[in-house]
Amino acid sequence: MRHLLVSGCVLVALAAVAAAQGSPRAWWAPGQGTSLPEVSTYDNDRGQLGVLNASGPLDTKGHPFFEPIGTNGRACITCHQPADAMALSVRSIRERWAATGGKDPLFAAADGMNCPSLPPDDPRSHSLLLERGLIRISLPWPPQRADGTTIDPEFTIEVVRDPSGCNLDPVYGLRSANPSISVFRRPRPVANTKYTTHQNFGIGPFIGKNGMPTSTDPLTGKPTSMNLMSDARAPTLAVQAEDAAKNHLQIAGALSAAQIARIVEFERQVYVAQIASAGAGSLAEADGPPAFGPRNVAAGDAGVLGNNTTRYVFPMAGKWTTLPRTSNEAENARNAARESIARGHDVFMFRTFWIKDSMHLNSVGLGNPTKRTCATCHGMHMTGMDTANGWMDIGTTNLPWASEVPLNPWNEAKPQMPLFRVTCKPTVKEHPFLGRVIYTQDPGRALISGQCNDVGTIVMQQFRGLAARAPYFSNGSATTLRELVDFYDRRYNIGYSEQEKQDLVNFLGAL
Amino acid sequence: MNAHRLAGAGALLLAGSLASGAVVSIKADEARKNFVSCPIVRDTASVPCWLTEYEGETYFLTVQSDVTAPVTPPWLGHRVLVEGTVSAEPRICGGVVLKPVHLSVLPARDASCNVMLPAEERYNLTFEPPRPPGPSKGRLAFDYTPPTPPLTSSAATSTREFVIAYDFDATVGFNHARPLSDVLDFARAANAKEIEIVGHRGAVLLSNGQTMVEDPAIGKTRAEQVAMLLQGANLKGPSYKVTWHDEPAKATGVDDYLSRRVVVTVRAE
Repeated sequence: MRHLLVSGCVLVALAAVAAAQGSPRAWWAPGQGTSLPEVSTYDNDRGQLGVLNASGPLDTKGHPFFEPIGTNGRACITCHQPADAMALSVRSIRERWAATGGKDPLFAAADGMNCPSLPPDDPRSHSLLLERGLIRISLPWPPQRADGTTIDPEFTIEVVRDPSGCNLDPVYGLRSANPSISVFRRPRPVANTKYTTHQNFGIGPFIGKNGMPTSTDPLTGKPTSMNLMSDARAPTLAVQAEDAAKNHLQIAGALSAAQIARIVEFERQVYVAQIASAGAGSLAEADGPPAFGPRNVAAGDAGVLGNNTTRYVFPMAGKWTTLPRTSNEAENARNAARESIARGHDVFMFRTFWIKDSMHLNSVGLGNPTKRTCATCHGMHMTGMDTANGWMDIGTTNLPWASEVPLNPWNEAKPQMPLFRVTCKPTVKEHPFLGRVIYTQDPGRALISGQCNDVGTIVMQQFRGLAARAPYFSNGSATTLRELVDFYDRRYNIGYSEQEKQDLVNFLGAL
Repeated sequence: MNAHRLAGAGALLLAGSLASGAVVSIKADEARKNFVSCPIVRDTASVPCWLTEYEGETYFLTVQSDVTAPVTPPWLGHRVLVEGTVSAEPRICGGVVLKPVHLSVLPARDASCNVMLPAEERYNLTFEPPRPPGPSKGRLAFDYTPPTPPLTSSAATSTREFVIAYDFDATVGFNHARPLSDVLDFARAANAKEIEIVGHRGAVLLSNGQTMVEDPAIGKTRAEQVAMLLQGANLKGPSYKVTWHDEPAKATGVDDYLSRRVVVTVRAE
């Protein structure tokens, strides 16, 4: 039965990797013990990514971020690869499978398989990881608070579709002895963390989007941005490290305080950004736009609003708007590419469209619909994240907007993602935009908060290193930056021109 | 709208002993307009205008600005309770200006509220809006209103009363993070010993003579939620006294929005 449900695309995809990409790129293996330079660069399809250790070269030997401290052979570095902007691209995943025959610790059964109960070493058992770069996240149902007490959720949840088999699995599923829900999500970049963990503008004791109490740092008691993870379940880098060590590294026991401190110390000084563009050349010139390159990211102000014309989200400083043409064709091509990036910036910053029916955006005082721009939500200076606690529903996981396989007699592809039916209880108000019954591939924040209005809300990601870490969105539903732009174009009926789309893609690819 | 909570004209007469003064007041004050209708959004060359129609007239409600706005736009897909006063200002976007105005997005979805009008030159704004439809010029649209000053003069330094206002039938939302923080900040600074929370249930006398009453449990829900949120923000030292009024406030048609509230009294002694 399960074999009928998993996609046959996996083998085709792996063959394509071998044919199209030749030899594997550098993979940072757990425990390899080499030094991570102050600045390292890694090729990708749109140029080069730069990784900056602001504290200087790092000796990784014995470092808990780089050593396989768990029982499954993984390290933090396994899913946070320098070449992939300290995240993990599906390209690297496929290369790793091809290089190791699926034996790399990345493919550990616990979360590197669609479900641990599936047959090992079969690519179909790992299809979500191999095809969409998704790691299995098992969350308790009903939701639990940080102290382990149970939350009475505002909704009931049913499994409508279970291609992985894990949500109905007798050991791992919703009806098991430890009722759990499996959702599948992309690893996030562990870099530029002064932005993802800021405690500045928009952060207070109550969440500015719904008035609920903000998660606090267990060490300091201060409110946090809750912007680290797609469901905001870990308020700090330290808590995230502990969570990851337990669930992804399957560590025996727990991280020591010293290990946590070293991991956090590393994560607080590592910066990533595209450093060179295949078309536009260097993104790190001294007189270039200060929006680009890891050193500019490291120098930026954390947790400040950039959705304004005094600071800007990604400051271009008026550069590259109009560049000269000469008899040098190569220079002309470079300048044209730079102008496209500048135009893409203006599309991001100034191109208005109607944003409608998006929870935690239209519900926060802007009206429904609101005529705004990309930078309205993606407003944090230098990262394009939300400065406030940033989960929203833009439709990446909730129907009717989530990407679904078209079902018809002529299409052999089958759905890969689970589908849940969420029913808001009669004692609570219905969801203001989706009603009382919501179909979703991933309930997102609602699996933590238990709140109906949070169903399908996902914490938005930073824009840095996008070229190095496809696919996009928390469920990997956009294979390319163009698909990402197309999703927004469909979702909000934007009507981008072909030029606007291309410029926006070029801009995003330069970040 | 919940039909069983909307009393018709006959019911209003039956309750004449309670509401007669309010009815007279409404008739004397034709400028007050309290009604439920679908919002309408009209595009302009700048920010959108929010309008609505009532008894053959178009009313201007607000323009889009940002989260600091004292009046935030309503939602298509939902009806809106309008509690406003006709002002002498020139029409905006073709609508008679209601100012001041209080808007409550009603919780139930209503797919019939879906009118978006295109921009027309004759309806463009004649003033610069508080902020453009994209990036700001470096400041938020409005300054944040400081918290309520102490109301208990005899013990101003040790006791403070906070009024938390609500939209119709609403509980805590985006616009409550600030007021709740004000309570929290004072309670912590004053080393509060007791927090008394009283939830209220509101009612609105509409211009058509009907009275709209909030959900019977809303006073309790509001009061308990505020207590839960303050405790959730780790304000666990003080004792909590949580009460509520099940009976709705008397609707008069004049500033009935004030009846939708929670009163939090923070005592340090």
